Amino acid sequence: MTQQDDALRREIRDWIAREAPLDWRTASTHEAFVASQRSWFAKLVGAGYAVPHWPREWPGGGRSLAEQKIIYEELARADTPRLLLSFVSTYHAFATLAECASAQQRSHYLPRILEGETWCQGFSEPGAGSDLAAIRSRAERRGDVYVVSGQKVWSTMAQYADMCLLLVRTSGDGPKQAGLTYLLMDMRLPGVSVRPIHQIQGDEEFAEIFLDEVEIPVSQRVGEEGAGWAVAQATLASERGLTLMELSYRMRGAMVRLTEAVHAAGRTCDAGILRKLGALATRVDAVCALADRFLQKRMDEDERAGDASIVKLAYSRCLRAWSDLGVELADLSGQMHGPITFGDLNSGNWMADFMNSYAWTIAGGSDEVQRNIIAERMLGMPREPKNWITEPGQ
Amino acid sequence: MNEMRRELEDSARKVFPDWQAAQNAEVCWTQMAELGWFMAGVPEALGGLGLERRDLAVIFTEMGRARMPGPALAQFLALEALVQAPDFPEREELLENAMAGKAITTALTVAGNGLAAVPDADTASRILVRSADEVALVDLAGAKITLFPTWDGSRRLFTVEPAPNSPRIPLAAGIEAAALTERLDGLLCLGLAGDGLGGAETVLAMAIEYLGTRRQFDRPLAMFQALKHRAADLKVALETATALYEASSEAAPLALGAMKAHCCEVYKQVAEEAVQFHGGIGLTVEYPVHLFLKRAFLNRALGGSAAFWNESAGDAVLELASAG
Repeated sequence: MTQQDDALRREIRDWIAREAPLDWRTASTHEAFVASQRSWFAKLVGAGYAVPHWPREWPGGGRSLAEQKIIYEELARADTPRLLLSFVSTYHAFATLAECASAQQRSHYLPRILEGETWCQGFSEPGAGSDLAAIRSRAERRGDVYVVSGQKVWSTMAQYADMCLLLVRTSGDGPKQAGLTYLLMDMRLPGVSVRPIHQIQGDEEFAEIFLDEVEIPVSQRVGEEGAGWAVAQATLASERGLTLMELSYRMRGAMVRLTEAVHAAGRTCDAGILRKLGALATRVDAVCALADRFLQKRMDEDERAGDASIVKLAYSRCLRAWSDLGVELADLSGQMHGPITFGDLNSGNWMADFMNSYAWTIAGGSDEVQRNIIAERMLGMPREPKNWITEPGQ
Repeated sequence: MNEMRRELEDSARKVFPDWQAAQNAEVCWTQMAELGWFMAGVPEALGGLGLERRDLAVIFTEMGRARMPGPALAQFLALEALVQAPDFPEREELLENAMAGKAITTALTVAGNGLAAVPDADTASRILVRSADEVALVDLAGAKITLFPTWDGSRRLFTVEPAPNSPRIPLAAGIEAAALTERLDGLLCLGLAGDGLGGAETVLAMAIEYLGTRRQFDRPLAMFQALKHRAADLKVALETATALYEASSEAAPLALGAMKAHCCEVYKQVAEEAVQFHGGIGLTVEYPVHLFLKRAFLNRALGGSAAFWNESAGDAVLELASAG
């Protein structure tokens, strides 16, 4: 740890003590929560902590990975709100624009992100989840526009988004990846409608997007027609390490919710519960150590294929176990339905936390897909034959 | 991993390229001494290499990876006791001999559990006795030594009753003994955890290689997703435990105990699945996969049970929360 790192840590710690909102958990509606997200993001932008991973020419940009780690460590330690609303904008949209878009697209959209314009991701479809390349939303070129029809699903906060990273099919010929094209879609265009998804924990973090003859200018295309799959890889690779570190640290900080639950249940002398609590605390520490080690590997440029999947899987399973112990401790009282806390994976409303934990075992590549990646790319286990063929006579 | 740890690992793998290379206990012991392992943790001022605990941690993993026989873990505890004890007349000579490979044994149980699970007590010169009141080296001449045959068999364990009035060299007493004993329990746990992770790595590789070569239904078993997913879960558990292990070599004894419980459970989980992956052949004595499962079970039972450590860790979590 260098002196500059220490200075940065002190600086951000002081700033958080002055500026961080303390009442974000009291939002009683999703709209109120989103409003608090917007104001927190604006504060972070103003202080130069919102986009430490952007290049130096942006306010607060040009931070090393080590410095980014410090910023997220401190934001997690102080239990500040996670940046849900601006996450896709600052990571996915940024990576896509920075790596694949035209200079004109970049200079138009990047400043607007810092001004609070939010993005969503229109990739998954009802028939294209783990098998993303099976996308069927169709874009047909008519002069200077693509006319797009189809349906997208699992778009985080799409109901509040200004823009959408949209992956569509422009051709049905050849390998299914080859017929995809990447567009930047204004969510206010005629023909776009959004329906929030009512989730099992009572929140509406995801939405469906319906596209009915939406006319998107060809100038909104990123990369060539048919090159969408490669652009999408840049979007998907935009972030893993820092978020999982931040989430792991938040889970460790929230061990206190479990100890409160042990007290509330009057089970401080219950050896069986103490064993579970001790084993879980060790596991949470292990996940934090794993996330740290992964970031270190990134800094050392020593990352192996599958490493990111290991961290995600370790975290998502541990998060489930964390909330599961809470549900057990809360016993019958935990089954009483009460208000949920928006944007908090570790709220101590155990049933909500448990239901919420599925977001991490499914979103961003399900646990099952991560296991395939680890087995095939890291352990060298062979892939199944590519095409499923019905044998003659069946 | 820094240069020193990389070197330790490389030199170990030259001498012990695979687990079969380390099966003769006497030869293995000489090789360990030649590698300088017994000097590793001793400060340079006392004639050692002055390496840190996280360097020793690499050695422990190598011991497990090659499923090494012998009383090396006990030797590391004795060396640590000699280093940490306040100076006394015989220390220099005892340290010199121990660094050269003269075996001092000790119980591989946490303090307060008597002299059980003592490796190679029949050939060691002395036994390190650890308790909250006293840490001492006791002469083994005339001691009642009973073989404790284990399922593991890779290490020879004994129960020891020293002869009454055996010559003893006190190393620490009172509050110093309590602190030293705790420290040694922590080192024992670190050693067992590292051994487990090294062993788990070997047995997982063994299982995955087997799945890749064994063919049924016209394809390698490794192609079946049901098996891939289980193998991936084992890899995740192993990598997670390894990250914890690497991060906590300098941790407090209680954290090391909880870490040991976690890592030994992972070893057992990996070895248990590895036997299952091998199908029928995994049940045959000729096929070595069972050796790792048995070592995993013994490791788990040494150095304090998971129940003991997890309960202590749970207590600590509660205390920390109410303090902070």
